[in-house]
Amino acid sequence: MQRYKSSRFVVAALLAGAVIACSPEAPPADAPVDAAAADAATAPVDVAAVLKAREDNFEGIGDAFKAVRGELEKGTPDFTLIATKATEINTAAGKIEGHFPAGTSVDDGYKTEALATIWEKPEEFKAAGQKLIDESAKLAALAGEGDKAAVAAQAMAMGGACKGCHDKFRLDDKK
Amino acid sequence: MNDPLAPATASPPDVRVWDVLLRLTHWSFPLLILVMWWTAENDKWAWHRRTGLVLLAILAFRVLWGFIGPETARFASFVKGPKAVLAYLRGDTGAGPAIGHSPIGGWSTMVLLGAMLAQVSMGLFAGDPYDGMTGPLNPLVGVMTADMITEWHETFFNVLAGLIVLHLAAIVFYASVKHDDLVSPMLSGARPPLAGVAGIGPLSWARGLLAIALAAGFALWVAYGAPPLT
Repeated sequence: MQRYKSSRFVVAALLAGAVIACSPEAPPADAPVDAAAADAATAPVDVAAVLKAREDNFEGIGDAFKAVRGELEKGTPDFTLIATKATEINTAAGKIEGHFPAGTSVDDGYKTEALATIWEKPEEFKAAGQKLIDESAKLAALAGEGDKAAVAAQAMAMGGACKGCHDKFRLDDKK
Repeated sequence: MNDPLAPATASPPDVRVWDVLLRLTHWSFPLLILVMWWTAENDKWAWHRRTGLVLLAILAFRVLWGFIGPETARFASFVKGPKAVLAYLRGDTGAGPAIGHSPIGGWSTMVLLGAMLAQVSMGLFAGDPYDGMTGPLNPLVGVMTADMITEWHETFFNVLAGLIVLHLAAIVFYASVKHDDLVSPMLSGARPPLAGVAGIGPLSWARGLLAIALAAGFALWVAYGAPPLT
């Protein structure tokens, strides 16, 4: 969702100035970043790189899951593709745990959806990640058998792993 | 009337050009588009969806108003063929003075309304139920189609922004080069007297309420997923 940000900001700022007096404020994340960056001196982490790596990883998982569901909407799904995508998700799921160094939550002032709960309940967070690893491995194995109903059911179970973790540890952007 | 400095002969009254509902509709567009942009950039997706549905209602009202509104609001009165557009661009004033959209301004209006309708319509199908907010009609399309529409929705904002810049540039051009103030009539509804032009009559509130009710009902129906479609 950030791809066109800078160009949009310029255009929208232009419009804001031209059309209406109350132009929008800069994203609230901007100010606390400096404070957070100062904290980071104690534990040298390139936060921007961390955020990007974990967002890219989750985006990859999301795209792969979309591809799986896209196949299952077809009359005759490509089970080889589903297996490949499930394996991709499995590999990416294994990286999740390493993408959350301390001090990179939304409460630390970063533009991220990572709730502080992740660090408050580390065991639970790890288990949630493990669930995705397990469910995606099951999906990859099942896809080889080519039973559409069983694969669809397992894909939904894997989706449940995504949702379960989002519900507890991800900022609810539906508000 | 009691002003001793007033001229003996009353000057002709200002000409009413735009009705109040059309003006409210117009000014809600820059306001709502800014809100739509801000909520998208700051992940306020519930507000993005709500505001989008309000925008849908207002666009639906504008379309209805194009058929049952006062003369200057009606598509039939301002959507002109290529001959009229070319004559206007040549500076041919044979058609006499007129109020409302010029032949080229009429098309600008249609393009802007069409672009906003396209953008809002794409938003209705956008998103992914496994990854946050979705438009109310998202279940009507497949996951990959929704993904594609979501990307178009993101990209098309730039087209809309470009059209708005063009719109603002045209207003500046009319003000500076042609000495024609288009903004004040859109604010007050009236322009200085113009010989031979009567202006629009009083607003029919019955028609206004009918169009508002129909537009709001339509947007509400879409907000609930257009039953029984979803």
